[in-house]
Amino acid sequence: MTPKRIMTSPEKTLLVEAKGLAKTYLVGDVRVAALAGVDLAVAEGRFVAVTGASGSGKSTLLNLLGGLDTPSAGTIEVGGAVISAMGREDLARYRRSVAGMIFQSFNLVHARTALENVELPLIFAGLEKSERRRRAADLLGQVGLAHRARHRPSELSGGEQQRVAVARALANGPRLLLADEPTGNLDSRTSREIVGLLAGLNRERKLTVIMVSHEEGLVREFAHEIVRLRDGRVVGTGDPS
Amino acid sequence: MRFTDAVDFALASLRKRRLRTFLTASGVMIGIGALVSMIAFGKGMQKNVTQAFKASDLFTTIMVLPGGAEPPGGDPDRQRPEAKERARPDAVLDDAAVAAVSRIPGVRMAYADVSFPAMVGFEGPGEFRLVQVVPAAVAASSALKIKWGRAYAADDEDGVVVSRAFLRRLGMTDPAAAVGRTIRLTSVSIDLSRLATLNLGSLFSGGASPVAQTTYEFPILGVTEGAAFGGEVNMTESAVMIPPGPASRIKRLPFTSVWDLFRMRDGKIGYSAATVKLASLRDLDAVRTRIREMGFATFALADQFEEITRAFYFMDMVLAAVGMIAIVVAALGIVNTMVMSILERYREIGVMKAVGASDGDIKRIFFFESGAIGFAGGAAGCLLGWAVSLLINRVIDLYLARQGMPSVAYFAFPFWIFLGAVGFAVLVSLASGIYPARRAARVDPVVALRHD
Repeated sequence: MTPKRIMTSPEKTLLVEAKGLAKTYLVGDVRVAALAGVDLAVAEGRFVAVTGASGSGKSTLLNLLGGLDTPSAGTIEVGGAVISAMGREDLARYRRSVAGMIFQSFNLVHARTALENVELPLIFAGLEKSERRRRAADLLGQVGLAHRARHRPSELSGGEQQRVAVARALANGPRLLLADEPTGNLDSRTSREIVGLLAGLNRERKLTVIMVSHEEGLVREFAHEIVRLRDGRVVGTGDPS
Repeated sequence: MRFTDAVDFALASLRKRRLRTFLTASGVMIGIGALVSMIAFGKGMQKNVTQAFKASDLFTTIMVLPGGAEPPGGDPDRQRPEAKERARPDAVLDDAAVAAVSRIPGVRMAYADVSFPAMVGFEGPGEFRLVQVVPAAVAASSALKIKWGRAYAADDEDGVVVSRAFLRRLGMTDPAAAVGRTIRLTSVSIDLSRLATLNLGSLFSGGASPVAQTTYEFPILGVTEGAAFGGEVNMTESAVMIPPGPASRIKRLPFTSVWDLFRMRDGKIGYSAATVKLASLRDLDAVRTRIREMGFATFALADQFEEITRAFYFMDMVLAAVGMIAIVVAALGIVNTMVMSILERYREIGVMKAVGASDGDIKRIFFFESGAIGFAGGAAGCLLGWAVSLLINRVIDLYLARQGMPSVAYFAFPFWIFLGAVGFAVLVSLASGIYPARRAARVDPVVALRHD
């Protein structure tokens, strides 16, 4: 069976293009295919939702697109660069400056304040202290958390923590924002706020967003397109409606 | 990532785990402390011995031995071949020979080494000692460190110079009080004329023994400080010294060892040794050559100095090796702490990688962490080593003071010991950080972010 290929908004410039993407894990002696040949094309400035049951390969796809993992087969091109062929050093640079990521469990560093968490990518980018302080404070302001800058993650609500994570993902001005179940640990009201924040960034800055989620309501409300995964394959694409 | 940021990261992480950082750094501190005091002790020994030698003129001293005699400390295989060749067995070391040696250019003074056995003490039998006959010129020179009283002014002045350590043996703690007191020398002599008429009857009747004891009394003119370190290294710092004048009037055995009996040639015995003091070390070779041409063997401590230095290098190495054991244990402690730290911060490492930290960034953070432990431990170790050395020195001084000995610095701390110790501590801890740092850099962010 030939995997289906989805082309989102073919009239626009492609930012992300994945071909024949496969990822196989070895669990003991058994080979488990998390992704079994996925083709994906995302045009610049789109908000794409990836849905599917747990174990369908959504997170694996996002980790590959975010340069956290490398595919067993297939290629990934982001903004013309073939990231599937990159070495560790180049992948680190890609994660630092091209793709920002947020996660279900926020993944903030607990020992650091909100401001310091946002500073983290700027530190690895080699920015000078005063400059990155200024930029981190500005980013926290953009997500509405200027007044919480000195608080540690444990002192913030789930929604606030995810906002800090969004600000951190935006720190180095990425072209692509990858969100892995960003509302999985949040109540429905906060979930709506967070996805609304991502949609706003997509709308106002033309930031391309790929979000893994299984909350149909939110997806239908905010996403331009939906990609449905089952057992590591794309089983459907199209308009949310 | 900037250098200062990597340092900030490392310090922040160490501050967060204060107790563990303190304990790990303490391991380094103890190791470096042990190493510092060991090396300081080795250096102190070397300094003391070298200084004692220099201060006692031993480097500018040549010992002259009659032909055929073995130089002291003699491994005959290691002797200079020319020394054997030139020493003539028929050369007798008598007054004329000593006078001739003293006329060699570069010789400051030359005198025969004469000593005789005697019992020396205030009351009672006293202690057995070899009494050294030392000319007034030598006694007055810097070679003899007289701290209380004075040296005898002339070769025939009646009086002796004793060492402080010997006074102690006799139960006298205050050397100043000893000056002017009378000390008794009891010598033994054999009347050869009686020996000839010796018969059993005279032995049983007593009184006719050829062995006679004679007691003489002399005022103590001066007391020497004596070498506190390494014992009485110089023969001019013997227990009891007497000028040649009174010495010649004392009836005594004409020899101090059986070797003297073998040295007799045609009835001429000569001296068993003579001491030559040079004006400067530069004249050593020239003077030695002249003395050898006269048919005598020579022995100069300056020649042995290289060997002494080598012995000290060896001692340094042994001491350093002992100190190294503690360092190795400390290094293992660092590796342990750092590996633990990786496991605890597994998720944090994943987060840092997810937001763009390179393998190199992660490595640097962990490297600086172990380096900082090493630096702190090394600096504290220097202080510890220094303090413990001072304490040990203090305790030994207290003990020595009770024995009436002057205090000695047993540890030497040249500047480079501290610099070297801190540098070494940092180096060892960086080496200990290699494996943990590489392991941290290899953390898979996908796995780490799933980690709880």
